[in-house]
Amino acid sequence: MLTPVELVNTVWIGSVYFISAAGLTLSYRVTRILNFAYTNIITLGAYLAVILTLNGTGNLLVLIPIVFVAGSLLAMGMHYFVFSRLISLKATPLMLMASSIGIWIFLKYVYYGIVGYLQRAWKVGLYQATPNLNLDWGLKAYGMEFSGAFVASIALAAAVILSLYLFLTKTKMGKALRAVADNPSLAEVSGIPSDRVMYVTWFIAGGLASLSGLMWALFSIVTPEVGDNLILEIFAVSVIGGLYSIPLTALGAYVISGAENLLMPILHDTIGLEVSFRPFIAFFTLLVVILIKPPLGAAGALPYRFRLRRKGR
Amino acid sequence: MIGFDVTGFILSWLVFFSIYSILSISLNLETGLTGMANFGKVAFYALGAYFTGYVSIEFFLRLHGLDYPIYSTDAIVALGKLSVEQPSLNLSVFLLTLVGSFLFAGVIGFLIMLPALRVGPAFFGITVLSFGEMLRIFLRHYKPVGATYGLVGIPHPLAWVGGTFSKDLGFALISLSLLAITYIYAQRITNSPLGRLLKAIRDDETATLYLGKNVPLVKGKVLFIGSGMAGVAGCLYAYYLGSITPNAFMPAVTFEVWAMMLLGGVGNNRGSILGAAIITFLDRSTAALNFLFPNLIIDPNFIRWMLVGVIIVVVLLFKPEGIIKEEYVWTPAWRLLEAKAEARRKAFKELIGRLIKRR
Repeated sequence: MLTPVELVNTVWIGSVYFISAAGLTLSYRVTRILNFAYTNIITLGAYLAVILTLNGTGNLLVLIPIVFVAGSLLAMGMHYFVFSRLISLKATPLMLMASSIGIWIFLKYVYYGIVGYLQRAWKVGLYQATPNLNLDWGLKAYGMEFSGAFVASIALAAAVILSLYLFLTKTKMGKALRAVADNPSLAEVSGIPSDRVMYVTWFIAGGLASLSGLMWALFSIVTPEVGDNLILEIFAVSVIGGLYSIPLTALGAYVISGAENLLMPILHDTIGLEVSFRPFIAFFTLLVVILIKPPLGAAGALPYRFRLRRKGR
Repeated sequence: MIGFDVTGFILSWLVFFSIYSILSISLNLETGLTGMANFGKVAFYALGAYFTGYVSIEFFLRLHGLDYPIYSTDAIVALGKLSVEQPSLNLSVFLLTLVGSFLFAGVIGFLIMLPALRVGPAFFGITVLSFGEMLRIFLRHYKPVGATYGLVGIPHPLAWVGGTFSKDLGFALISLSLLAITYIYAQRITNSPLGRLLKAIRDDETATLYLGKNVPLVKGKVLFIGSGMAGVAGCLYAYYLGSITPNAFMPAVTFEVWAMMLLGGVGNNRGSILGAAIITFLDRSTAALNFLFPNLIIDPNFIRWMLVGVIIVVVLLFKPEGIIKEEYVWTPAWRLLEAKAEARRKAFKELIGRLIKRR
């Protein structure tokens, strides 16, 4: 049976997926780098929420800017120290991906090392932790009581998406960003400083990833592998959006979250599928999307895209 | 401090060196030569290992008419007894699983070609990476292959040999000879027309397609061969350790193989072996470090994986071609041209010499 809890979870997790996948899509479109180390930024956001609220309850409103800026700095650091140098060396996209994998695995075990060290130094359990926030109030509506964490997450997601929309459509920098995404050479010829645009993109994408980590920390337990456990869903969501369109990414986020939270209990009841096989839903969605509607744009393979189009006509 | 076993260290390093070299050669075929971003190497490695473990345990138990469930004390005890009885059975099961794991992993690798045909490198990377992770989750929760406990008591092919030293030496020799076969095979592919076609696909896929080459089929072939090789490596791994758990097949293993390939040199089989030698040596050394100094501040395992990440990034930034550069493909035509050019150079020198003399 479906319960309101599952519906609430659908919306909640869907928002986390959406925020993080929006950042991934944006960064891929503008910089043409598929950054696997994106998961580290999510983990950073989640852990900052835990560590900063360790002694006493923290204020969410203070936490948000700190988490955002920390994630942005990490993403911009990656670009400054690795990606920008590789691009100036004319590395292939394959090698850029490989370098992001290198950063990913390095940072992952750095986190493990730091968390293990802090756990021993401060004598608190950090491998599985939750943040202490002033969110024990509830909101009564529609005959239900929503928890403060849920309301805060949804409000945060809505605010983030609204400001992202306003930034991309109304400001000069946002327009420049979209121009670089659509046609890098034309943008450069028109005098758009594409180097600065890259940094702005990483600033936003890193901030979004970090905030989605914070939202995940409000929902569930934080471990050093938070981001890695989310990576599959986030990539599946981005693939539904074709790593191209942000509205489609939103659709993908709620579809995948709905499949995981609403479809899974039904499958469990009817055909006895075990709940531990939950990640398979995202994986099968990914495969089905790739098989039925191969992504176009920069991410698709050019020759076959051409062949498919001719067949269609 | 307990005595440190140097011969044992070297033998275990040789086995891991062969396993990882086979993996990095196969990755080099797929990524270094064909340009496919295979971030899921570990999946095919795991498939080979699980195929080997499952088939050999089942074979031993069912052939002797025992029907213990796979993960039970009875089964492990029975396997320990049975594996020392008939050398011919041990060896034939070893050969069977060796061929079987090649075909099993290879066919699944070929099927992965289906999405690979339609998407670009970024999406292919995502798909294969998530395939590896999915497989691990599946193995962790699938009861018939032991779930989280994995498979235990895989009968060693040389279990009937008395003495640990001769057993380990024999296994190291088997692994090294398999590595030699893999290397010769990969070298033959690299220097064949197929190898040149692979390099063409890597350098310009569109142009190769318009030359009339069947690019998807060629990619599928390479994935079949590469995944099959990874399956063989998994087979060796399963026999060497005697027990496998799903957590041995973390995505990090793939990236370790990537680090080997990048460090040794992309598109170069000798480089892959060199990279594997260096990194497995570091890896075994950190294991020894763990054994010698049990109370380090940071877990040596973490240091090992961090090192893998640092190696990938540093090699890409400062020495993108790796330790050994990619070589020419020595085709018969090249040799002929080279000989002709040499003759011409000689004739030119003689001419100059004569002219100088005349003056």
